[in-house]
Amino acid sequence: MTYESDAADAQLFSDGNIAGLLAKYNESIVGRCIARLKGSLDAEDVAQNIRLRLLAEFHRGKRYGDLPYRVVVHQVITWTLADYFAGRPTDAPLPDDWNPGGPDFSETVLERHSLMSLLEPLPEREQQVMERYYLLAMDIDQIAADLAIDRNNVDQALFRGRKRLREELAARG
Amino acid sequence: MAEDVSALFDDYAERFVRGERPDPRAYFERAGEGSDELGTLIDRFLERVPPPAASDDAITLAEAWVAGHSPLVDLRAARGLRREEVVDHLIAALGLDRRKREKVKGYYHELENGLLDVTRVDRRVWEALADRLKVGISDLLAWRPRPLAGAAAYARRNEAVAQWPPAGAPTRLDQESDTVRGTDEIDQLFGRGA
Repeated sequence: MTYESDAADAQLFSDGNIAGLLAKYNESIVGRCIARLKGSLDAEDVAQNIRLRLLAEFHRGKRYGDLPYRVVVHQVITWTLADYFAGRPTDAPLPDDWNPGGPDFSETVLERHSLMSLLEPLPEREQQVMERYYLLAMDIDQIAADLAIDRNNVDQALFRGRKRLREELAARG
Repeated sequence: MAEDVSALFDDYAERFVRGERPDPRAYFERAGEGSDELGTLIDRFLERVPPPAASDDAITLAEAWVAGHSPLVDLRAARGLRREEVVDHLIAALGLDRRKREKVKGYYHELENGLLDVTRVDRRVWEALADRLKVGISDLLAWRPRPLAGAAAYARRNEAVAQWPPAGAPTRLDQESDTVRGTDEIDQLFGRGA
């Protein structure tokens, strides 16, 4: 699954605006590092090395075809955190043949980075509410108006959707 | 008393997608023994959700970083501030002795140029800087100057952070503080205390 923002990222990338992309993804980079390192002060160092790796890849002229840039970012984060936990240096450049889509790039890579794929078991209405809340950052009143449903129904759908989201996130490796 | 992990995660996730830039560390403190579980939820959530658009400040900092400038210097310039004004603000906000202005100025120069271990700099310094520069503390911590191009520079940066000040080569400030006056509050604030 792709997101609306993926097209904007592709434009920034083709414009050579790596600063715009790093600015956008920095909160995700730092947030994931702090989360995985349980608040350790090493998190900012690892985040710095992730940005350096992304910048180096960009300057090397690496291109990723149809793979959304957000997937590239998260693959570099995951790769770098794996280096950190394995005791390997996180400041070395990525291997020349590093491929964020994997050798068999397919929808499975996109699914791993999709919120909505976690929520597919939910009824359609609840999926619509969750998508608007988490991916489009709409508030409850906006969602109610957009879907022409009662505010209480939005609340109830969010309650069930959040529960499902937490369960699915906890279960995924 | 630790708070419910589910409620903390829901709050974090909502604030993140709305661009409020919640600090995970603050949530871990509230989660207590549930911080491992909360960290897992936050990591996997961030992996799957697109971030909100970057702020103008974030773009300024990122542009400086990519260009190899000091993000802190470029942000200060974008605010139209001279270094002296920021130093004066630090002295006032931290209640420091004005007679030690040159020492504070020296440390601030090092901070701007990535020569201090930011993890050892006291949070009160970051708070005062964030207040004067009108930016989040997390931005100041995140966008430290990057090393110059080349893989060798990566190693240099890490050495610089890990071994600063280099063994056997004390800085002017260290010599001054350690041998003449002893480590003082300013050294402590900037992470050079004992």
